[in-house]
Amino acid sequence: MANNKILAPQLKDLLSGVSNHGNQHLLEVEVDLLQTTALLGEAIDKLVTSFVSIHKAVNIQQEALDLLLSGKHPSEEEIKRLKNIHLEIGRHVNAVITNMQFQDMTTQLIDRTVKRVVGLREVLASLGNTGAKMLPESGGEEIILFLNEINSALTAQSSELEGAVRKVVSQNKMDSGDIELF
Amino acid sequence: MSKTILAVDDSSSLRQMVAFSLKAAGYQVIEAVDGRDGLDKAKNQTVDLVLTDQNMPRMDGLALIKALREIQSYQRVPILMLTTESSDEMKAQGRAAGANGWLVKPFDPQRLIEVVKKVIG
Repeated sequence: MANNKILAPQLKDLLSGVSNHGNQHLLEVEVDLLQTTALLGEAIDKLVTSFVSIHKAVNIQQEALDLLLSGKHPSEEEIKRLKNIHLEIGRHVNAVITNMQFQDMTTQLIDRTVKRVVGLREVLASLGNTGAKMLPESGGEEIILFLNEINSALTAQSSELEGAVRKVVSQNKMDSGDIELF
Repeated sequence: MSKTILAVDDSSSLRQMVAFSLKAAGYQVIEAVDGRDGLDKAKNQTVDLVLTDQNMPRMDGLALIKALREIQSYQRVPILMLTTESSDEMKAQGRAAGANGWLVKPFDPQRLIEVVKKVIG
């Protein structure tokens, strides 16, 4: 009877522990995946814009080349436009370089998500392994000890997992980052 | 003679972007795939500037900086961190390790060139 009074709270602790830790880690997974989606979306949008702009600029340069090859001379306005095109292409190339870095950032986010998912899987496997040690004939006291062991292991593993997946990418936008000289 | 920059990052695409940007500005660039590779290459040839990521396998950026600062010829070579990390705590660790500056990714090529010119000319 006394054992039942201890058994039920231990079981309750285990169930809420599994639920809370699972929820916490899966919420982080969701946040990281949403962040990855946002970065990818913005990077691709900006890359497409830059690609179209570079394509237009290159076409204008080709028109000028065709004009020269046909023996005609470009007007002052056309010359000025060509000089500006070079700078414009440079700006778009810089934008491409900035936005191509999405690959580095999203890889780090995905790595973190994978580590967390693998860690969660290991925690659940550990629960199962500990549970498997329980014999069908285990008495109330033994079950209490097992539950105690499982609860402690669950808390420890969950904390260890949290420590192993430190957040290193906080960016939600592909704007270039700060520079600080010490 | 053009100045040489050691670019250390475990991301191949990031190294390509850095090399492309800096070479366009006239610098020579040596690439390293992580801190350990960076340290080996730095020992083989003294460079004018080290630009390193933080989170890398085998040896991270902070460990690389500390190791470089223990080498006589690298005690005064400027070292800049180029990383996704932006917390004050990490910057303080970088500064304490011997970094001379902190650049947060993604970098803009024009701004990168400006800061490199400011540091090594």
